[in-house]
Amino acid sequence: MNYRPTIVSFLCNWCAYTGADLAGTSRLHYAPNIRIIRVMCSGRIEPTFVLKAFQQGADGVLICGCHPGDCHYHEGNYKCLRRFKLIQKYTSQMGIEKERLQLEWISASEGQQFAELVNNMTKTLLLLGPVKIKQSLEVQHLKQ
Amino acid sequence: MEEPRIGVYVCWCGTNISKMVDVEKVADEVSKLTHVVIAKNYKYMCSDPGQELIIKDIHGHKLNRVVVAACSPRIHELTFRNAVEKAGINPYLFEMANIREQDSWVHTDRVEATSKALDLIVAAIRRVKYHEPLQKRSVTVDPATLVIGGGISGMAAALEIANAGKKVFLIEKTNQLGGQVAKLDLTFPHLSSAQQLIQPFIQGTENHPNIEVFLNTEIRDVTGYIGNFKSTVQMAENENIELKFGNIIAAVGLKPFDPSKIEEYGYGRFPDVITSLEFEEMLSKGNILTKYGKEPRNIAIIHCVGSRNKKYHPYCSRTCCMAALKYVHEIRACLPSANIFEIYADMRAYGKGHEEFYALTTHKQIIFLMYDQQEALPVIRHANKNDNCNMIIEMNEKLSGESIEVPVDMVILMVNMEAHDNVKEVVRAIGVSLCGNQFFIEKHPKLDPVATTTGGVFIVGTCQGPKDIPDSVAQARAAAARILATIAQGSVAVEVTTACVNENLCCGCQTCVRVCPYGAISYNPEKRVSEVNEVLCKGCGTCGSACPTGAISSKHFTDKQILAEIEGIMSMSFKGA
Repeated sequence: MNYRPTIVSFLCNWCAYTGADLAGTSRLHYAPNIRIIRVMCSGRIEPTFVLKAFQQGADGVLICGCHPGDCHYHEGNYKCLRRFKLIQKYTSQMGIEKERLQLEWISASEGQQFAELVNNMTKTLLLLGPVKIKQSLEVQHLKQ
Repeated sequence: MEEPRIGVYVCWCGTNISKMVDVEKVADEVSKLTHVVIAKNYKYMCSDPGQELIIKDIHGHKLNRVVVAACSPRIHELTFRNAVEKAGINPYLFEMANIREQDSWVHTDRVEATSKALDLIVAAIRRVKYHEPLQKRSVTVDPATLVIGGGISGMAAALEIANAGKKVFLIEKTNQLGGQVAKLDLTFPHLSSAQQLIQPFIQGTENHPNIEVFLNTEIRDVTGYIGNFKSTVQMAENENIELKFGNIIAAVGLKPFDPSKIEEYGYGRFPDVITSLEFEEMLSKGNILTKYGKEPRNIAIIHCVGSRNKKYHPYCSRTCCMAALKYVHEIRACLPSANIFEIYADMRAYGKGHEEFYALTTHKQIIFLMYDQQEALPVIRHANKNDNCNMIIEMNEKLSGESIEVPVDMVILMVNMEAHDNVKEVVRAIGVSLCGNQFFIEKHPKLDPVATTTGGVFIVGTCQGPKDIPDSVAQARAAAARILATIAQGSVAVEVTTACVNENLCCGCQTCVRVCPYGAISYNPEKRVSEVNEVLCKGCGTCGSACPTGAISSKHFTDKQILAEIEGIMSMSFKGA
């Protein structure tokens, strides 16, 4: 079967989601592999959401929030950044390559950057191939 | 929970969605899903007949949940929430799938776009099943208004509100009211005096019993929410005053671009290369003279200085072409025999009476020369001794295709208008966003151009984008009308998607208390649980994701709802791929 990478994306309402909307109103074209979920703030994003997406078969998870200093709720993006580092550590221990979980800052005016980001991540995932959580867990199990 | 009975509506948005998404197929597919009672597609869901369709079905099919797949929820979520509420359903039992901005407009493969639309709609269907009815909350509105910026827009808004008998605090960062208009001589296209326009405004504002003016004052931090904002303003003599107000109008304006960045024009090197605002000052004094006190025989006016140029600012400043034509009239009146050169890139005369004004200018014996922004800017150099002029402008004249030299004694640079240096501090203080050109972003570019996505915060005048005096004043009065309407009602509906604590699950660790940026959560030592002050909570959800026991949830963004959305996204086209 043809490998079609899937990206589940969590965008904050104020900057990133608005930026993604701007990509639309500017008619910028990007890869159709992404599905966007809106949250009010990137600080709302829980490890569970990321794990759920991978569990359901996502090949990549993209989190976008406001640029540092620009958070609509002052500092939610900083909290997201800290949480992100931890989740990434955890998911990489599960055998999920770091590139499959990305955090980027997208402002409400960065439609172009958002489109490029989606294209780049899709390309990265094409190179990585489908997510291999199970396989790596099996290997770990055998080692033990 | 009652059995979900969901109605799904897929919008064509004319051809905006339907040309890239097979709307009929999508509606047909989702109609087969559990709990979907009815699925339809329609040309314009946001139109009255579109909304009627939903309302009729809610009654006819006893729907208790609704999904609309259309544009971004940022555009029409409220429209549809109101529609379902009209039919007697709680407005929060509704969900939108964004299949225009984030699907049909950004993809070029109809099959891919269609399957994406399907995924997004299924996600919305799964999510809406877990939606809970939320009760609308309203807060009282403090009848005072804070206006930031004492230019013509800020004063027009302040006077409109003050004349209706309501209090206005107007803060201005400089030491005088009037803004950019106070620096002008005449206005286009009627060549009437700018001072005669602005002085009555300034006096009216200063003397109005309902307006309190704070000069030399900048906005620092604003706390609170629509209807009940608070801010401490620091005045020049280090005195702090706390102000309370229900609404905010940002009218901070723009500032002139510094042309010394453009090497070609030699601003700063040539004393007689001046900016349009410096020329206005000269006109106000009544004499057009070079730095050596001589009357210039040749005057060039260069358009688009810093405008419509990728290197500086990509946008058009909108007022400079007409101001440049205005100078022709003013120079002619003063120096009947001077040679006047309008060196332009494109002539923009879009406004009421502007094209007529342009036509009138062409009878004033002037020379229009066109340059190509993309190719090369005109270059100013010193003239030679026997040239009989101070400077020479070398340029490629676009219409004739020839390289020419223009003799000049004075050059007026029509400078772009750009954002103030501290604009980021202002937007942060009042909680709004900037676009790429550093203009304040309005709630809706067409239907709601003076409001912002932050309740109770309005934007007027040039900070929203370059505009002339009539447009600025129109916006100012429009924002004032919006604010007076909420003051008249006395209360305003506020966001109800706040955090709430399940006291049975709360272990009292107070993690939420520490992460809340608004101090909206406090610990109740008697009950040993956290409590949310719903008035202070802005619903960011940070507490929910930090809570170790899952006791705090963000209403309308609960774990269940978001996890269901993730499952929905992955359940159709991606399944097994």
